Amino acid sequence: MQRLLYLIQKEFRQIRRERMFVGIIFIMPIFQLILLGFAITTDIKNVSMVLVDEDHSAFSRKVEESFAVTTAFRYLGAVQNVEQAKQRIKKGEAQLAVVIPYHFERDVKSGKSPGMLILIDGVDGNSAGVIAAYVGRVAERLQKTWLPKSGLSPIQIKNLHLTELRTRMIYNPNLKSVDNIVPGILAILIIIITSFLTGMSIVREKEIGTLEQLMVTPLRNWELLAGKIIPMIAVVFLLLNVGILAAGLIFGLWIKGNLFSLYALALLFSLSGLSLGVFVSTISQTQQQAMFFAWFFMIFSILLSGFFIPIENMPPLIQLITYLNPVRYFMIVIREIYLKGTPIIYLWQQALAMTVFGIVMFVLAGLRFQKRLG
Amino acid sequence: MNANEKYAVVAKDLTRKFGAFTAVDHVSFSVSRGEIFGFLGANGAGKTTTIRMMCGLLLPTSGSALVAGFDVFTQAEQIKQHIGYMSQRFSLYEDLTVLENIEFYGGIYGLSRKQIRRKSRELLAYLKLEDRANTVTAELPLGLKQRMALSTALLHDPEIIFLDEPTSGVDPDSRRQFWLLIYELAARGKTVFVTTHFMDEAEYCQRVSIMQEGRIIELDSPQNLKEKYKSESMQSVFLKAIGEESS
Repeated sequence: MQRLLYLIQKEFRQIRRERMFVGIIFIMPIFQLILLGFAITTDIKNVSMVLVDEDHSAFSRKVEESFAVTTAFRYLGAVQNVEQAKQRIKKGEAQLAVVIPYHFERDVKSGKSPGMLILIDGVDGNSAGVIAAYVGRVAERLQKTWLPKSGLSPIQIKNLHLTELRTRMIYNPNLKSVDNIVPGILAILIIIITSFLTGMSIVREKEIGTLEQLMVTPLRNWELLAGKIIPMIAVVFLLLNVGILAAGLIFGLWIKGNLFSLYALALLFSLSGLSLGVFVSTISQTQQQAMFFAWFFMIFSILLSGFFIPIENMPPLIQLITYLNPVRYFMIVIREIYLKGTPIIYLWQQALAMTVFGIVMFVLAGLRFQKRLG
Repeated sequence: MNANEKYAVVAKDLTRKFGAFTAVDHVSFSVSRGEIFGFLGANGAGKTTTIRMMCGLLLPTSGSALVAGFDVFTQAEQIKQHIGYMSQRFSLYEDLTVLENIEFYGGIYGLSRKQIRRKSRELLAYLKLEDRANTVTAELPLGLKQRMALSTALLHDPEIIFLDEPTSGVDPDSRRQFWLLIYELAARGKTVFVTTHFMDEAEYCQRVSIMQEGRIIELDSPQNLKEKYKSESMQSVFLKAIGEESS
């Protein structure tokens, strides 16, 4: 234990003396937030949706059918009431709920605007906007192809609007893409910093020869690992907080949910990044190699995280692969906590996945990281 | 006195292969306690591989070795408590100060705060570095760094010291100073195992072994070797020994 404390003390002394760290902790998050925050838009497929049919009429069934056959939507079935629909969205099972109100058919027939309610998960702001547009298109098609056959007079049809987009967003009310990108950037920063810095810091000691020196001391494997990892956790924690502050000050986006839930889950997530860094260090002899390998893994984990490209848009095989990507889970977690204020208990699946990944990766990396050469 | 007590290091048929390449090929030798034992050879002769196996850094492919009475196969961690090691590569943290380096290595060798303070004072006095205790190590001259590196590798007072080309890249005066330090250690009963490719340094050893292509081709005192090869210096002993082997 004493040995570990000396290791940690040494790491902090080195970090303090290394000017690069100041840049990494304070400047990098701000730059990335500003640049990426404005740069990214997205497109949607396979929107999971539920429907509430309060009217149970021929008309309402027709509406249901036209949503069900639209390829942009994955229709999960009808639910009993609006409350249930909201619940499904809250749990992240559905992104869209269509509510056909009571007297829908009667209102249409009498030429009144029926006022369908459309609920959209706005956590991913880009997706939400696109989903709203898709819903509008379905409604438009209904209006053009089906209403003329329904026995209404052309004048009535002309004055009728099946949906009128008077959207009220529950989460991410302004539907700004920035709101969606910003928490994502924080997630990306965490994975980059943990994997790169851990890998580089170990390989640097390999390069200068001090690692060999440490290997002939009575230090245990786990002490050597913990001595590298614990200071990195402190660095990442600091960086996360700088990022949170910057997001608030620059974009006015403050965390909605519990800050400590985010800390806890970020820590869990960091374990995967730290382990990746340790793993990278075991396959690299020089810092350049470590950089290359870390990037190799990083590209996949960023692209397959749902950060730029919504996972629902990916081909099914690729979607399956994303389940192997720890960033995918934290991307959901940080957006949910940041934008919806989702309580941590609803995120247990993601937390579990990250725990499994963290532990498995840590054990594998730890097994490869031996106090021997060659 | 049984073999274990007499000898600090005993190696028998020690072999290490890297794939198809045999870096160390059935090497056997014993080093007595308090002896300065030299390992000579050209680059790539297998000196570093041998020393790394002794220190528990590399697992031998076959053969056996005891270091301080512990088996290199199964007791590598116990060995580490009893040895000091300094490689040709620099082993101090250049971005830490002199004092911080001593504190760090003392700490990971399990010394108490009090012991570390005492050792630091002794060491700084010995190296005449008292007024530069808070200088970043990078700013010290190389010869001084090397002596300091050796001193920090010895903070835990090990019985056996492995030095892998400790003086490469150092000026002659610093090399002489470094060897004075090695003599002092031997006088205090430490066993010193040193590899070098400086033949004049071989003269300072009590016994030397000459390695070529992974095998030990000579093992005796410098005096005996010089007589055997009818040479004035270890330099020509080395060249003759190697020439004889390869012809």
